[in-house]
Amino acid sequence: MKTKLAGLVAITLAVAGCHNTMNSVENAQKEGQRNMISDQRVVTDTGLSRAVSVVGVNTAMTPGGVLRVQVELLNRTRSLHPFSYRFEWFDANGMQVGSGLSPVVPDQIEGGESKFISAVAPSPICKDFRLKLLEAH
Amino acid sequence: MKKIILLPLVAASAAFITGCGTNAHYVETGGRQSIVSIGQINDQDFIAAANAAASDLIASGVLDKAQHSPAVLVLSRIVNNTGQQIDTDLLTQKIRIAVLNSGKATFTTTMGLGGKAEDQMAKGLQQQEEFMNDSKPQPLPDFSLSGKIIETVARAGNTSQSTYSFQLTLTDPKTGNAVWAIEKQITKQGTRSSVGF
Repeated sequence: MKTKLAGLVAITLAVAGCHNTMNSVENAQKEGQRNMISDQRVVTDTGLSRAVSVVGVNTAMTPGGVLRVQVELLNRTRSLHPFSYRFEWFDANGMQVGSGLSPVVPDQIEGGESKFISAVAPSPICKDFRLKLLEAH
Repeated sequence: MKKIILLPLVAASAAFITGCGTNAHYVETGGRQSIVSIGQINDQDFIAAANAAASDLIASGVLDKAQHSPAVLVLSRIVNNTGQQIDTDLLTQKIRIAVLNSGKATFTTTMGLGGKAEDQMAKGLQQQEEFMNDSKPQPLPDFSLSGKIIETVARAGNTSQSTYSFQLTLTDPKTGNAVWAIEKQITKQGTRSSVGF
């Protein structure tokens, strides 16, 4: 009985130790000011939204005068999670622009990691965007 | 009687097998269902590299500092340092399309390496125009785009890993200085079958 219990404890500890999550350190007094925007989300995959959850979205204009979008993601699980994403761009009339080079980008996020993904609009006429997050195939 | 029953059954079976014998279907080019090959550059790799290069170039603002507006670019040599035969137009044409669509630059096709124009017809017409109207020859382009694709391979046991480095440089031909550069690396890893090559 004691042997079985000891074995069970050992297995539990081994499984718990297999998840490597990420620690991070950063400046508490931030120098840069992010221009955060309010966003609208549609979640159809709750598992994905937990592993690759959107913390916030900020935008800026590049020196070239095109829109750059940055999205902060957080993995609320303890496991590495592969995923894919794609940015879509829209002009002032809401028409989609330049889908030819809007690739599906494979990426991954470590357990507990907060990371940024970003994209630059294909043209100065792009005023709006949409980010699609998918499970890796 | 048996023939009357068997013949339609045989015909139906043949049609069923023929119709279901192929699993060919369309997938989105460069999408999630694309085949990932460790030992070669796939379509989605060219798309990713071209997207990274074009986005960075457009965002950098270097094209806005050119003498002409929009800036005039010429495509130079893209060196293939991989073990495969690659048509580098799979990369450069995507970059050209993205940069043209941005409105930030145009590309001259009447200049090329060794004096050989990309579009010989256009060059001939341009020379005819210059001769007939006694106009000045085509000015130097603002920038020249050159690059290299490098493959590095690593193996550990049954696991193979290939990294493809797409390096691009924009040079000002008047000064000979590089004014923009990027390196996009794509790494793929997988296991080889224990039987076979």
